[in-house]
Amino acid sequence: MHRRDSIDWSVLSGPRVSRRTLMQLAAASGAIGYASRLAAVGAAPGNRAERRQDVQQGGELRWGYGIGQIPTLDPAQVNLGAVAGELLSNIFSGLVQFDEELGIIADLAETWEVSEDGLEYTFHLREGLSFHNGDSLTASDIIYTYERTTNPDFASPHANKLALITEITAPDDLTVHMVQSAPYAPFLGTACSRGPGRALLPISQRAAEEMGDVAFGQAPIGCGPFMIDPDTVEVGGGFDLLAFEDWYGGRPPLDKVVVQLVAEASTLVSALEAGDVDMVDILPLIGYDQIAAIDDITIVEAAGTNWIGLAMNYARPPWDNPEARMAVAKAIDREELINTAFFGRGTPGIGPIAPAFGWVYQGADEAEDPQAFNLDEARALAESAGLDGVQVNLITDPNTRVEQVIRSQLSEIGLDVQLDQMQQNAYTERRNSGDYDMDILGSVVDVDPDDNIWNFFHSEGPFNTYAYSNPEADELCDGQRLTSDQEERTQILQELRLLLANDAAYAFLYHLPDVTAFYNHVQGYVPIPEQRYLEHLWLDQ
Amino acid sequence: MTQYIFRRLIHSILIVWGCATLVFFLIRAIPGDPVVQMLGTEYTPEAADALRDRLGLDEPVLVQYVRWMGNMLRGDLGTSITGAESVGDAIVSGLPKTLSIAIVAFIIAIVIAVPAGVLAALRRNSLADFVVSLVAFLGVSMPAFWFGIILIIVFAVNLGWLPSLGYASIGEDGFVEWFRHIILPSIAVGAGSAAILMRFVRAGLLEVLSSDYIRTARSKGLNERRVVVAHGLRNALIPVVTVAGIQVALLLSGTVVIETVFSIRGIGRLLVGAIFDQDYPMVQGTILVVAVIFVLANLIVDILYTLLDPRISYD
Repeated sequence: MHRRDSIDWSVLSGPRVSRRTLMQLAAASGAIGYASRLAAVGAAPGNRAERRQDVQQGGELRWGYGIGQIPTLDPAQVNLGAVAGELLSNIFSGLVQFDEELGIIADLAETWEVSEDGLEYTFHLREGLSFHNGDSLTASDIIYTYERTTNPDFASPHANKLALITEITAPDDLTVHMVQSAPYAPFLGTACSRGPGRALLPISQRAAEEMGDVAFGQAPIGCGPFMIDPDTVEVGGGFDLLAFEDWYGGRPPLDKVVVQLVAEASTLVSALEAGDVDMVDILPLIGYDQIAAIDDITIVEAAGTNWIGLAMNYARPPWDNPEARMAVAKAIDREELINTAFFGRGTPGIGPIAPAFGWVYQGADEAEDPQAFNLDEARALAESAGLDGVQVNLITDPNTRVEQVIRSQLSEIGLDVQLDQMQQNAYTERRNSGDYDMDILGSVVDVDPDDNIWNFFHSEGPFNTYAYSNPEADELCDGQRLTSDQEERTQILQELRLLLANDAAYAFLYHLPDVTAFYNHVQGYVPIPEQRYLEHLWLDQ
Repeated sequence: MTQYIFRRLIHSILIVWGCATLVFFLIRAIPGDPVVQMLGTEYTPEAADALRDRLGLDEPVLVQYVRWMGNMLRGDLGTSITGAESVGDAIVSGLPKTLSIAIVAFIIAIVIAVPAGVLAALRRNSLADFVVSLVAFLGVSMPAFWFGIILIIVFAVNLGWLPSLGYASIGEDGFVEWFRHIILPSIAVGAGSAAILMRFVRAGLLEVLSSDYIRTARSKGLNERRVVVAHGLRNALIPVVTVAGIQVALLLSGTVVIETVFSIRGIGRLLVGAIFDQDYPMVQGTILVVAVIFVLANLIVDILYTLLDPRISYD
């Protein structure tokens, strides 16, 4: 086993940090989830340089975006990961960005160095960078952004990602130097990356102060390949993105991207089908078959980085009884659930490791699944645990698609599941305070998915609100963070997966894929997981 | 009459104030914390406290109420809790869309309901009456959102005649584009109202046509057209106007769902989004506007009575 202090962090320096390096480092430092996700992303077909040859300039892309309202586009205040990866990533460049394999490559910073102890980061900015308003972008803007994000009065939900920074200075206009109190491997991805690195997406001080927070949040002045046309901004309606002529990477081929917000999934599907939009950000699964039948439309589908399961609160009977939990786990027909709730698009879950993490993921046909659907066994366990006629609540937000199926399936073992439906806020509060019998929850991965497992199954995990505590699981949760050997790490994770399934820590349910769709005249799409970098797109007119 | 209208206006203001007050306290009684919603899952208690402080949510509810009332009287409805926009701006941008849908829907409802109702009444118990009644029955039973989706599938996806979503303003995009965007949602919302109004036109006309003065008119030898239109319809319309006044209000609530289906951000979608986010200022502001429209619609109905029926007088 490697210890943290034996890691050479300077391998994080770049203009380019390969996926392999990130994986090794993440593994050695404990950010195992991040490493696993990096491993999952295969090389994208083709290569950007080749595709660039026949690029046509100009045109307007109509982009249907499946969110009814985006409260703000101020990076430090955006709390939806999809908005960060798909929209902010086009309006703002970051110090670094992702390549197709989720390796980290240069963006505004042409090169950077990380000290051997992993505590000091030095970024070297490109020359001649500018914001959309024409102001030049220099090291002092990064420092202003740091101060703005960490200002307690500003209440940015991303301030915590900068909490380890003890010192930030600008030795000259093109150099930013940061010192941290402890090594933090995912720092580049979570805090410095184009899109998700919301804490440090460069803000123009002049623009932010002249416009004020409200106006800035509606039409922020960024530094990415596209700029918002402030005259077209309609909160909850959409806005136009215009090619930024002075972007350091060169003017994008598209003249304009019309972002049309669409709240209702079926409307988004109809709009694509009717040709009212050229592309959708994420194809709603309800329309998958309908859209797949259209020859003019390409669907790009990637394995998901998420897992969803049914939590049973150990602190409340009957769930303190392992037989009761296993009876529930075995009574759930995952195939039927996926067919009914997600139109057959999904993968049955046997644990908290998502299919995208290919090196460690095991499907139901590859590994032992103690929770495999078996109604006879489930009924026997339920009888032994005295579940017949027992009433339990299942808390849920207004979307009860999955919950309805679960309730119906669990009635087969005599359990009386009451759906306790409430507004999102109230639901979040009930969940956080552990005030529930059952809850359907899971993890949709951010760039550092270590929390994917540790946060839910370690006895001290912040999302462990259902009182699961198993010293053996704690040991494995911690152990997988400290192991640098990939095979050994895989074994630990798979062992942990089996332990969690045997404990019925959760009844594991399903994983959903990441799907996008566009007309064939939209060319140049570069698949980067959960990101949409639009400067590669062009229209075959 | 002037005095009556003045008195009614005073009443209206009291009603609107009552609504605003009720909503102010009711929305705060809904469980859940808007600050938690806004900050997302990664919030820290410090950030939540800072935001609560910035939004003034840490003050006693009564203090918040008095401040909100004070600001409202000065025409300031506050800023959305998400900080994204002023409530006033959102309403100014949303109201034309909602009114466009509601007004066109109302016109569609009237244009369908009156002739169909007259036809059904005159040809009572005929095949025509049966067909009109059946269609009306379907119209009442059909949920607006479902009908809206069907309209999208037929006219936008299959025929490709009309856009499936969005709104175009008359000022910027011209009347034709505005109409093309507004017609499907208006039909979806108006269909139910057309059906209800039709039933009232039919019932009202049947009752009137069997009354003494109509028999008198007919015995004088007036042609049937004049009997029905000049003598019958005018009196038959009195209950219809009452219902139509309520329908205007119902059309507004119908747009709540339809605006989501057609991705148009009018007052309805503002309200729905605000309720989900527990965006107090936005909920208060939009409900206030809806209350004002309700009250005005009723006032106009009452004034219209006197024009339709000279027997009604408010003096």
